[in-house]
Amino acid sequence: MIRTASAVRRRARFRRTAILGFLAVMGPGIITGFAGNDAGGVTTYTSVGAHYGYALLWLLLLSTAGLVVIQEMCARMGAVTGKGLSDLIRERFGVRWTIVAMVALLVANGSNVVAEFAGVAASLELLGVQRIVSVPAAAIAIWALVVFFSYRVVERALFVLVLAFVAYPVSALIVRPDWDSVLRGLAVPTLAPGQAALIAALALVGTTITPYMQFYIQASVVDKGIDRELYRFARVDVYLGALLTGLNGFFIVVVAGAVLFPAHVVVNSAADAAQALGPLAGDQAKLLFGIGLFGASLLAATVMPLSTSYAICEAFGWESGISKDFREAPVFMGLFTLLLVVGALVVLSPSVPLFPLILVSQNMNGLLLPITLVFILRLAGDRKLMGDQANGRLSQIVGIGAALLASALSLGLVAATVLGL
Amino acid sequence: MPYLSEIQHRRVIEPSGNEVGKLADVAVVPQGQFPAAQWAILATPNGEKVVRWADLAQEIGHFRLRARLENTPDAPLPPEALRLARDLLDKQIVDTHGAKVVRVNDLQLAEHEGQLRLVGADVGLRGLLRRVGAEGMAERMFGLAGRRLPRGIIPWHLVEPLETSDAKVRLTIPHAKLALLHPADIADVVEEMTADERVAVFQQLDIETAAEAMAEVEPEMQAAIVSDLPEERAADILEEMDPDEAADLLQDLPEERREELVELMEKEEAEDVEELLTYHEDSAGGIMTKDLIALPGGLTAAQAIDELREKKPDPELTYYLYVVDSDGKLEGVLSLRDLVVAAPETKVTEIMDPHVLKIDAETPKEEVAALIAKYDLLALPVVNARGKLLGTVTIDDVVELMLPRGWKKRSLRSIAR
Repeated sequence: MIRTASAVRRRARFRRTAILGFLAVMGPGIITGFAGNDAGGVTTYTSVGAHYGYALLWLLLLSTAGLVVIQEMCARMGAVTGKGLSDLIRERFGVRWTIVAMVALLVANGSNVVAEFAGVAASLELLGVQRIVSVPAAAIAIWALVVFFSYRVVERALFVLVLAFVAYPVSALIVRPDWDSVLRGLAVPTLAPGQAALIAALALVGTTITPYMQFYIQASVVDKGIDRELYRFARVDVYLGALLTGLNGFFIVVVAGAVLFPAHVVVNSAADAAQALGPLAGDQAKLLFGIGLFGASLLAATVMPLSTSYAICEAFGWESGISKDFREAPVFMGLFTLLLVVGALVVLSPSVPLFPLILVSQNMNGLLLPITLVFILRLAGDRKLMGDQANGRLSQIVGIGAALLASALSLGLVAATVLGL
Repeated sequence: MPYLSEIQHRRVIEPSGNEVGKLADVAVVPQGQFPAAQWAILATPNGEKVVRWADLAQEIGHFRLRARLENTPDAPLPPEALRLARDLLDKQIVDTHGAKVVRVNDLQLAEHEGQLRLVGADVGLRGLLRRVGAEGMAERMFGLAGRRLPRGIIPWHLVEPLETSDAKVRLTIPHAKLALLHPADIADVVEEMTADERVAVFQQLDIETAAEAMAEVEPEMQAAIVSDLPEERAADILEEMDPDEAADLLQDLPEERREELVELMEKEEAEDVEELLTYHEDSAGGIMTKDLIALPGGLTAAQAIDELREKKPDPELTYYLYVVDSDGKLEGVLSLRDLVVAAPETKVTEIMDPHVLKIDAETPKEEVAALIAKYDLLALPVVNARGKLLGTVTIDDVVELMLPRGWKKRSLRSIAR
């Protein structure tokens, strides 16, 4: 995102008091952590817990470790260079590679937008609203809110709804999972054979380390005017945010593993997923789950198209900004609108089952993750660009590990699909 | 005009033809309006080597070193030097208010007085497509849709490096003139600029250059620029333009705007233009010019020469001298040569050729072009139904009709390469 005059002013204010600074920079990481907890996340974690119990927790642990390291890299790049990720990709790799990176981002985020609309549809179906009504209404509402009002206000309102997901950690205490099994799941890597398990595993990685989060965190750091000095404080926030994403996932998998897995519930709809909150909320489980899912989906459906348009316009130097109209920023507004329209249209066709659709979209993220990671690793490890803030060996190894993990699962899934396993 | 992306990565050969590397980058010192290329950075198997730009000769498809590589001295880059590909390409340029951020997709170079100079930053879609080798294809696709690929070039003198280390470049308020370039080149640069900058340029140029450059700009864009300019300025430029060109331009404007501008123009120019406006823009009347030399039939050769001496007409008006009677009816034509070699006392009616090929104002311009081509003429007189001389269509008004579509632009680019 483009650094605004207000960001520069804010930055000057930050300098004055480091302590105030710490409080003020607490944010981008945690917000990103929350945003990672979207329709794709909730659905994937619930499905994984319901279908495989605690067996894939190790993968979640690895992904979270990868996420922590990668998010930190991007935030550091933002602080050191003062530039967004797509900005750096363009300046370092030129037009052709930028197109590759941006197409990957567009497809990954496009599939996320589809997932968010599926989340909106699924949550409101719980309350008896047909998707033919809810999805277009949500798309139009988001478009109008972003174009005509301040999206910051909307963001806060939706955050409150997302708090409904606090129900998961609470439930985890109530349902008394078998902690020994949980630990075993975390420590012993196992993966059931077959295509279905690979889909679940890749979705788990893809939803935890979403390419979108890297662009978002770096843009937020730049936008907030966090520099090398302030970054010491911001780093904590970034770590916390990434851990939060992992913890969220952990509790959802554990609750689903404790409640749905023994009952052999196949999660195909929001109603199935909501049953996981049954022990906590009883008859209100559907309402609680529905509210959380609705808030998270709508929030992400707003942020996702917006940050995608920003990233792409930044890379190609096109006019961007929500205060501009179609004539001033045609590509920006066009992309933003297109993502909403396409996302909504895919979900509208009544024959598409919502939850499997969300899982597929998260697979897309996992599939495209290595592409984004290669760019990030090349940039963050570049001493010419980053100076003494370049990646150390450990960061590089963890980053490469995450890329290899996602690639291996992607290849495995492709192979399994082709061979019909 | 060549672009950096078109010369970058070209082969560099020694006088013997032996390939020694590729052109990796071009460096300039960012001073003056259009900085000249001073250094070439060659990518050789033994790493980068910086040589003086003058040590290279540009040939078709490659560069040739004037001496063998080991005999070519290293030319150290001064710290203030700007490497175009490394420091400018793909970087963002910001205007002074920080309100508009654009990205340098390509850099436009031009040969001026024997030196390759940096003339503009391409921030448009065209530059982006050129970088991925899809400009030609996209141009054809846009052409099929009946549209033109948008351009966006910011002339270099409107760009100022902010800090060379970080290689951020800042747009400045236009502070100097483009007038260094030929009006046709100015038009080329202007066509590739964004709307705001185009208007800024036409505000800055002196009237004469502005008028000449305006005449060279693509018709659709002319109308857009004139619409965006302040009325007074637009009227001044129109006045200065040839009446036929001004009329063509006005033809493309909305009627209301057209009338406003004609009103603001000087009476004499306005009348010429208004008369031309009554003809269809694709007819001989629409493209003809009112500027011509019409000699009264009673004049002697000596008197006629005196009159020419007094009028000092532009060279293109002296190809044909027309003879008219007292009602302005076209009687014949003679050349400057005929006039000069004739005895001074001879009447012009005696030396003129009365069998003059002439056309009606309603003649379609394609037909005019065909006639000019067929009879190898430089101009054709236009008359009304009663034979009164109205104007002439000169060859430069129809030359584009005789060329294959798109030839003009393409050939200029290939010549510049």
